[in-house]
Amino acid sequence: MTTNLVILPLILPVLTALTLLLVGRSRFWRRWLTGVSVLVQLTVALGFVAATYQLPPLMLPAAGWAAPFGIVLVIDQLTALMLALGAMLALAAINFGFAEMPTRRTHPLRAPLIQFMMTGINLSFITGDLFNLFVGFEVMLIASYALLTLEADDFDIRQAFPYLAINLFGSTIFLVAAGFAYTIFGSLNFAQIALVGSQMAGDPRITVLGLLLLLVFGLKSGLFPLYYWLPNSYPILPAPVAALYAGLLTKVGIYVMIRVFGQVLPPGLTLVYQCLGWMAAATMIFGALGAISRNSIRGILSFQVITSIGSIALAVSFFTEYAFTAAIFYVLQDIMVKSSLFLIGGSIGVLNDTDNLDRTGGLWKAAPLLGVLFLLQAFSLAGLPPLSGFWGKYMIVTEGARLGHWIYITCVLVAGLLTTFSMLRIWLTTFWRDEAEAGGHIDHDDLRWKPMTIIIAVMTLISLGFGLGADHLLQLSAEASHQVFDRAAYIRHILEVRP
Amino acid sequence: MIWETSLLIGVLFGVACYLILRSSFARILFGFLLLTHAANLFVLAMSGSPDGRDSPVTVKAGTHYVDPLPQALVLTAIVIGFGVAAYLVVLLYRIFLDQRTTNLRELFDPARRPDRTEDDPS
Repeated sequence: MTTNLVILPLILPVLTALTLLLVGRSRFWRRWLTGVSVLVQLTVALGFVAATYQLPPLMLPAAGWAAPFGIVLVIDQLTALMLALGAMLALAAINFGFAEMPTRRTHPLRAPLIQFMMTGINLSFITGDLFNLFVGFEVMLIASYALLTLEADDFDIRQAFPYLAINLFGSTIFLVAAGFAYTIFGSLNFAQIALVGSQMAGDPRITVLGLLLLLVFGLKSGLFPLYYWLPNSYPILPAPVAALYAGLLTKVGIYVMIRVFGQVLPPGLTLVYQCLGWMAAATMIFGALGAISRNSIRGILSFQVITSIGSIALAVSFFTEYAFTAAIFYVLQDIMVKSSLFLIGGSIGVLNDTDNLDRTGGLWKAAPLLGVLFLLQAFSLAGLPPLSGFWGKYMIVTEGARLGHWIYITCVLVAGLLTTFSMLRIWLTTFWRDEAEAGGHIDHDDLRWKPMTIIIAVMTLISLGFGLGADHLLQLSAEASHQVFDRAAYIRHILEVRP
Repeated sequence: MIWETSLLIGVLFGVACYLILRSSFARILFGFLLLTHAANLFVLAMSGSPDGRDSPVTVKAGTHYVDPLPQALVLTAIVIGFGVAAYLVVLLYRIFLDQRTTNLRELFDPARRPDRTEDDPS
């Protein structure tokens, strides 16, 4: 169905960002504008989820140029779900930033930059061609470079360099891959590539293209040999922005993997899937081990971002409709779990004035609710039933067993065990240990943690809802996965609709 | 022509990778500039021979046209690359001002400590 509303996820954040730049330093307007705008974005995204469930994708051929020639923006179930979770996370992170603000003055450019980043993320979600995907990535990355350095101090700013360098390299490779795809398929439109590619199965050039794209998306999402930029750069961010990065940026890489390998490139690129599988298995193990090696909460959580990415990428590498359902479900619930853990880390930073595990302590007495929320989300991360993380892992393991990938399954289980261990380290030091024993102190006068805890509690409730009402989210994920796998329908809808 | 272009792209990529792997800022910067040039040239080369081909809708017999799409793509990529390069220059300059070194090996030396005493999370 053709509708102009598809432009909304793109234009709302841009307009908000530009207005925020005009508003300048007025804190009142800055808060209200961002708050209302993100709420509207969330409503719109939820509307899209309803409008694409078991229905053909919504699309907008830009300026009325039909699909293979013009630029199309497409929203199907998967896109709509990602948009909705992204907006939900942005709402939580921005409100958390407001709760943190009273004593810590945030930079006036933070709010508009977050909106610009959301623009890039949303463009990556709704684009229907490979080159706009590149543009979306660039918009997202340029905003993320700026956010990374905006509030970094003089010492930490050096960590921005590896982040910038590796992403610049990745972007260049992406541009080359886009050019390569244009030569092979004669088009950059996803549907047209899928159509032309279906008659070119077995062409070795497509395998090369697949490996190039795997390199790019692996870089963006933080897979095994390519992840080293992530765990050092995320801890220098302020907590709400770190939550946004951890929840969304790496997931964009996973989303495009699902989209491009699942729907666009011709199926049967066994070499690419095998590489992805091994990279994913190594990512899980090294991420979990890295988490154990770190001694600050944000350091541990940054490595846990990598571990989850490994599990999801593993599900993608199985390349069955059921495994894609698992991957999509895992991505959606992980956005909530991971970011709320980062926000809990931020609250601990406020309460203990540090998030170094050597000096945190006594929080079980000071803020028991925070402890409960932490335990719930930590166990969800490790994959304990009936929390949301369990269902994702369960599906990945059963599908792996069905396909006979025993080594991969072992990696998932070992990584889960190591994750439990590293999360328990945070629990034992920060919550269980007495503050005097730790040599730290608790800032009892600082009441900012109360509104922060409310925001985290709401996010945890949503996560719990994902876990306890898993079949509803599973239905949506299964529908999204089905739409991705049903190439013929996708091609038909995109190429045969005439504006 | 396509062979000369591909040779040039290969040389550019090689030189760029060599420069990026050096440890001084200025070289890395030039490495990235060359890298974007190499990628742009690669995309441009995707339109095939610069002599062009017969267009699908011929206006005049015997007129050849080059595929304009890669040129449009390259234009976008140049703009993005330019913006990012400007950002990189500013970032490297700020790191130099803060840390007083342009050598990555010194910059990421684990023995290097921050000036502040507390590693507060903010």
